[in-house]
Amino acid sequence: MSNESLIADLSSDLAPVQRRSMLREGGLVFALGAVELGLFLVLGVMRPDMHHMGSSPFLMWRVGSLGLLAVVACVLAIQSYSPTAQPRRGLMFASALAVAAILGGVFVTPDGASERALLDRINPASGIVCATSIFVLSLPIVALLGALMRRAAPTQPRRSALASGIAAGACGAFVFAFCCPFNDPLYVVVWYTIGCAAVAAAARWGLPHRFRL
Amino acid sequence: MRSDFLSRLISKPAPGAAADNRERSSRTAPDGWNSLMVAAQNGHGGAYRRLLGEMSEWLTRYFQRRLPPGEVDDAVQETLLAVHRRRHTYDPQYPLGPWLAAIAKNKWVDQLRSLAHRPMDEIPDDIAVGDHEASVVSSSVLASLLDTLRPAQAQAILLVKVQGYSVEEASGQIGLSPSAVKMNIHRGLGRLTAIIEKTPDVE
Repeated sequence: MSNESLIADLSSDLAPVQRRSMLREGGLVFALGAVELGLFLVLGVMRPDMHHMGSSPFLMWRVGSLGLLAVVACVLAIQSYSPTAQPRRGLMFASALAVAAILGGVFVTPDGASERALLDRINPASGIVCATSIFVLSLPIVALLGALMRRAAPTQPRRSALASGIAAGACGAFVFAFCCPFNDPLYVVVWYTIGCAAVAAAARWGLPHRFRL
Repeated sequence: MRSDFLSRLISKPAPGAAADNRERSSRTAPDGWNSLMVAAQNGHGGAYRRLLGEMSEWLTRYFQRRLPPGEVDDAVQETLLAVHRRRHTYDPQYPLGPWLAAIAKNKWVDQLRSLAHRPMDEIPDDIAVGDHEASVVSSSVLASLLDTLRPAQAQAILLVKVQGYSVEEASGQIGLSPSAVKMNIHRGLGRLTAIIEKTPDVE
């Protein structure tokens, strides 16, 4: 087939298309996150002291840093689906933000926590449940971001997939933060990081195989 | 405001490249392309036909400098199809040139990958000789790319993929086992693909 006949085929019966809108896509992700959080809270699993979050630096740090990371990572992921996007800088920024959030945990460590045994503070038995919960809560967001990625045209699908995974992991961790009963920043840093990293790795591995421009 | 900042984080190319991109876009992509694409997104077939025609010429020049002559038409058509399937992703706030260049570069990488996996056809002795310009430019680009590889990898790729020797013949010339030659070709092509993917678009 010559180029001319291909062009004739493509331009005949051309239908209007709905232009991609980052605002609309961001709204979809936000809505899904809100629904997930709402359903989660309706089940009655929210921490009883969440209403007094303003008086607890630890809760403010946990919810605030995860919320900020989720918003930033979602914006970066959605923007990375454009063909002209260069997601590398955005990924570095999100990583730096995550490191800053982790370091922020040093300032909200409760008195006496550092005197406890390390294994006692990390509490692997509960931590695995937390990381798994974050992973499960992230799945709807991963699916939605994957669908948006498929409809768009990322030219660096691996990096876009990684950004999607980080965004979904941060969203899942943010939702889970409302019910997690543990108050040790070290526990949060270790198991939330593992949960988010697992989501990011799964998205990085799984999404690019399904999406090619 | 934060969204603008994040947008710059995502989209901004390497320092100094922004001015190059503007200059390159103005040199290569006509100003009318944006309005033609907007009309095409609204379902205007005539505008779309004209746009694809002009894009086709631009893409032919683009791929002639990067691919063997026999691969150019395939790459152009693959890119036109990708443009058609993804035309809703074009944002009229931005120039169309970089958008098209990003898609074309992706298709170029795809073509290189398919070339690497395709068995070599025997070249007939009485092949017709045409214009050498595209071949000269391609060989110049290839030489500069091969310079970035380890000598053993570059030599293996040159002998087997460019000059058409079999792996056994190449292993005899290089003095390595056939499996080592295959390994060098595989790793070398992988490295070349990675280099090309990281290279900013150039016209």
